[in-house]
Amino acid sequence: MLEIKSLTKSYGDVLALDHFSLELKKGEVLGLLGPNGAGKTTLISILAGSLRDFTGGVSFLGKDLFSDRSLKNRMGIVPQDMAFYEELNAADNLLFWGGLYDVPRADLKKRAAEILEMVELSGRSKEPVKNFSGGMKRRLNTAIGLLHKPDLLLLDEPTVGIDVQAKVSILDLIRKVGAAGTGVIFTTHQLAEVEDTCSRIAIMDRGRILAQGTLVELIRLVGEKDIVEITGEFAAAAFSEALADLDGDGVELLSASDNQAALAVSDTDRIPKILDRLFRRKLAVTDLKIKTPNLEAVFLKLTGRSLRD
Amino acid sequence: MRRLWLILKTDARRHLKSPLTIIIYIIIPVAMTGLIGVIFAPSSGDGTLPPIRVVLVDRDKGLASRLFLGAFDAEQVKKMFQVTTAGEAEGRAMMEKGKASAMVVIPERFSLDLLEIKPVFLEVVKNPAERFLPDITEEFVQTTAVMLSAAVQAFEPEARGVRAMLDAPVDAFPWEALAPELGKAQKKIASAAKYLDPLLLNVKEEKTKAAGAKVNLTRTDIFSTILPGMAIMFLLFIVQTVMRDMISEREDGKLRRMLTTPLRPSELIGARILGGWAMGLSILLVMAAFGTMVYNAHWGPFGYFLTLVVVVSFWSAAFFALMNALVRNRNQAGVLSAPIILGFSLFGGSLMNPEAMPKAFRAVGIVTPNRWFVDGAAAVRDGRFPAVPLLILAVSGLILLLLAVPALRRRSTV
Repeated sequence: MLEIKSLTKSYGDVLALDHFSLELKKGEVLGLLGPNGAGKTTLISILAGSLRDFTGGVSFLGKDLFSDRSLKNRMGIVPQDMAFYEELNAADNLLFWGGLYDVPRADLKKRAAEILEMVELSGRSKEPVKNFSGGMKRRLNTAIGLLHKPDLLLLDEPTVGIDVQAKVSILDLIRKVGAAGTGVIFTTHQLAEVEDTCSRIAIMDRGRILAQGTLVELIRLVGEKDIVEITGEFAAAAFSEALADLDGDGVELLSASDNQAALAVSDTDRIPKILDRLFRRKLAVTDLKIKTPNLEAVFLKLTGRSLRD
Repeated sequence: MRRLWLILKTDARRHLKSPLTIIIYIIIPVAMTGLIGVIFAPSSGDGTLPPIRVVLVDRDKGLASRLFLGAFDAEQVKKMFQVTTAGEAEGRAMMEKGKASAMVVIPERFSLDLLEIKPVFLEVVKNPAERFLPDITEEFVQTTAVMLSAAVQAFEPEARGVRAMLDAPVDAFPWEALAPELGKAQKKIASAAKYLDPLLLNVKEEKTKAAGAKVNLTRTDIFSTILPGMAIMFLLFIVQTVMRDMISEREDGKLRRMLTTPLRPSELIGARILGGWAMGLSILLVMAAFGTMVYNAHWGPFGYFLTLVVVVSFWSAAFFALMNALVRNRNQAGVLSAPIILGFSLFGGSLMNPEAMPKAFRAVGIVTPNRWFVDGAAAVRDGRFPAVPLLILAVSGLILLLLAVPALRRRSTV
């Protein structure tokens, strides 16, 4: 349904997308996971048609996305910004945005009522949006993108800054939309969101996809190793040097920065040995956490940094 | 087009949902006009018009001129006019000093020519520093002239008879011959009306060219003069407030979202400019209506006034479209727009009469919409079509629009 080929976009010297390629099938929910600055929003902006001066191509439903305007009606965008009119009520906002998407007037009201029901805002539909909570506004923002029943839905960090209840509601909606046959790409830097919601996950950093697959497939990339996160008082270089001779002995250094490091260990029996090496070098350890293999470990392994960085 | 109308309709609905800013921008100019008007307008005690000071110059001193002068002696007319008889030079001097609204000159041979049924002219010289009082004088003289003209035409044979008698010496005046003439005259009184057209007696209008004539505005004149200046100043504020949506939408992501829909940038730009234009037009008409209701302000022919309002609103929308395309954010727009509007208003005659401004200020004023709107409104008040102000506002507005559209297009994508 969607085929992105070698998209490249830079802002001055900064390469935001580096020959980015991706395919999406009908009904597939793809979570695009990456830290801030990975290029997620740039990708969504190019697909939405609001960024220019890039190279590469995008084919959507077999047509060139950027030369066929009619495709805009087949795509729904949920931007990071709360992009609607706060003075108007939810129903009026939906009627306005639906009108821009050419939803027939006869269907528009019915469709707006349906979508308000879907995002649990039907009881507040006549209230000015400015009175809404952050979570309600996020739900309305999502509803606008779904109003015209798009074949492809792009969501740019749709759960930023909202409470757990609203987040659950939006993620549930994304799952339903995907199940109904709409292709979904949603960007986030929340691991838990993609773990629970997406049928496929792509990890991107510095404008490139580092790995993609189902959650199980991605976790296999780090093997069956446990992740050991160490916090203390040490320099990154000293930490790496202290554990250098353990490399290949069931211990793999995933990341090391000053006062914080992550290791993959084939067996937790290796931990005393690790601590011994550190203490011998007089590197203080204040905290140690052991985690079973998960997406975060995959991310650490692939990017060498945490999603929070 | 459908999407363009949708945006216009939605914008109107949005502004009506939170109309406070617009209401304030309507009330302030009307209130300021009232304040300035009250401070500067001459008080007329009970609120009625003050007596109109008229100078009568009688070069004829004959029978008809006495009749004419007698018209000003009627009780009702006396309340309206304060008549001074003087020579022409003295009369003109009085007008220059603002001591008279108009001067009526009865020409030599006025009586004789009338009795000989020859066309004659009464000359009304109006004080250009005043707006309505000279017009009232002219109307009154016109009415009197109609009546006198009708009377003379109806009694033409009798007038000719009387004319012949006037050549006789006073001590030999044939009084016995006067009675039959008066008898015949009576029968004709009833049929006087049909002689009204064409008028035998006409009024010739003249405005003095006396420089430095003292302005002597009535209260209504003051409001009618101040309100256009105030209205254009606040029109600019309102149009900018409405059109600043373009920047807000750019900043809060609505613009990007709109352009992900099938909406074309040209439709969006068209909607924004049309919206600003329509808002300006509506608000200016509301202000004018307020002015009429509250101050009995006089705007002149409505068609002319509407044309002027349409064009100045268009100019404002085009100007702020360009400005908002050039600034980076709302803060910049806010910082720039207030000084620009106040500058326009100061130099363009919104805050003071352009005639009272220093020459350099007046020269700067010609690049402001305020000046052309104020001038245009004054022309319309005088019943003239404001061709020059309209031309200048329309052409410069079009140029601004042509510059704004590509700039806005560039702004609509990153």
